[in-house]
Formats: sequence, structure tokens, C-alpha cells
Amino acid sequence: MDQMIYSIVSVKKKQRELNTLLVGMKGVSGADLYAVFFDDLTAVVSNIKKASLVANRSNAIEYARVIETLAQHFTLLPVRFGSVMESTDVIIKMLGRNYHEIQRNLTKVENKVEFGLKILCDSEKIKTELIAKAEADTNTEPAFAGQNSIYRKYLDKKLKEHRFEEMLISYADPIIKDITSHLAQLNPIHKFQKRPSKTNIIDDVFLLEKDKKEELIQAVEELQNQYAGLRLLLTGPWPPYNFVDITIK
Amino acid sequence: MHDNVIDRSKDITILEVLDRVLNKGVILTGDIVISVADIDLVYLGVKLMLSSVETMEQIKSGKSVNV
Repeated sequence: MDQMIYSIVSVKKKQRELNTLLVGMKGVSGADLYAVFFDDLTAVVSNIKKASLVANRSNAIEYARVIETLAQHFTLLPVRFGSVMESTDVIIKMLGRNYHEIQRNLTKVENKVEFGLKILCDSEKIKTELIAKAEADTNTEPAFAGQNSIYRKYLDKKLKEHRFEEMLISYADPIIKDITSHLAQLNPIHKFQKRPSKTNIIDDVFLLEKDKKEELIQAVEELQNQYAGLRLLLTGPWPPYNFVDITIK
Repeated sequence: MHDNVIDRSKDITILEVLDRVLNKGVILTGDIVISVADIDLVYLGVKLMLSSVETMEQIKSGKSVNV
């Protein structure tokens, strides 16, 4: 039977602890979970029929719950939903072939958790100011003067939208700098993304030592007070989904 | 006090969970095997980066998905 892999866990000498933990847990669709060991690495898997593997909300949440519970006890690498291998033997060989790369990633995330920080710009005041500035900038450049008015209106509209987008992206730069500097004392590893969606101007995920959660919350509260016109959403702690840098063969 | 900062909204949390579970983590070469809701089984080559719900909706509605 095929086996779905949930995560790769660093067990070291805690194999018995992992087995005991797995006895009390269930995987996707209530499947039993078990451990496939190779040296000090373990793949946590469940039997699965390929045809029954459905990427729906409840399965994804059950899958995430398994990873989250394991992450509370062990250092691990989450595996993307839907990753299936044919047998235990194939999984053992995969762990052996990729041993050093897996260990490198596990070392990177050891004793750390991931947090997400979204900066949402749903303030009408800020938007209005930026739109007005975009319009003012556009009006100073008669780029399409003399052209047919329908085309000109269309191009002006597009130009304004483009300017607005550019402004929001530029608007994000000093905020990113500020976040980086404000959280620097916690020594996080950041991954920033600018303007990932319409209302979201910055998406930051970062890896942080487990015991720094309270300090982080305080630092984000201070940032929120500083940026009253923006909404800051902090989520976590998560297993290190965004900090796994490995494609396994 | 912390509730102002840590958003515990269920919807946001679920979206965050879906984004991570479907988009992030270790990539295994071979096939990622999923079927979405009640449609036919879809085999996705591992090079396809699922962009979570949006891609799922595209698959569901029969639209092509960029690989």
C-alpha cells in the first residue's frame, strides 16, 4: 500500500517517545500513524490509497494538526501535503540518499518556530493619500497628449494604477526596514514579500527561537502602535514550513 | 492584551494553514497525488507549485493550471 509522508523528524535517541506519541494520534481520514526509521531520522507516515487522497479543507487541517503535534515534541521538517511513496523500503532509501541535506535543514530549524506577520493596508486615509499622489504625478506628465481621448483615458487610468502600485511597494520599503530593525534584538531569519495581495502590502515570515514568543508579541504591539493606520496580523507559532529548503529525490 | 495583536480569527488561521500545507515544506520528487473535492483524481507532477486555494479552485472548475 502507498504511504503518505507527513514530516521528517529528528528523533535522535527518542524513538520510543515518538512511537508512544504516534499511538495516541490519527492521520488523515483517521488513519494510523507510524514511524519509518533510518539512523536518527524518521519519516512519519500513514497508509493511504491514492484514490482516497483528497485535498480538501478537513484533510489539510488534519494533516497540519499531525505536523503541529509532532513539532511540539521534536525538531522536524514538514512535508508538503500529498507526498506519497510506494513502500517503507522506498522511504528508507530516500532518507538514506538525502541524509545530509535533511540534517542540514533540521539543524537550521532546531529549537525554532515560524511566525507570520502580515501588514494590511485597509486604511482609506492612506489609500486616498497615495491615490491623490499617483494622480498628481500622472497629471504632470502629458505622456499621451494629442492622442485619441478614449485611448488616452484608458492609458491614463492604467498609468495611475501602475503608479499607485509602485507607491504601495515603495511605501513598504521603510516599513520593512523598521520591522527588521525593531525585531533585530530577537535575531529572527526573515523572508519578506512585498505586495502579495490587494490589501496586503507586506508578508513577512520569520524563524525565531521558541522561547522568544512573548518578546515578539511585545515588539509587534509596539510596531502596531507606531503604524496606527495599518493593521498588523501576527500568526504562529508554526512548524517551520517556510524555512525548508530541500527537494528530495 | 495579546488578542489585539495575535489574530485568532478562524478564517485567517485556516487560510494560513492551507497555504502552508499545500504550498510549503519538503518537496518530494515523484508524484504529488491529490484529488480535489468530488472531481476525478488529479495527478500533479511535482514541479507544479500549488498556489493553495486558488489553484484548487482552478482545478475544480476544469480550468488549465500552469505547470
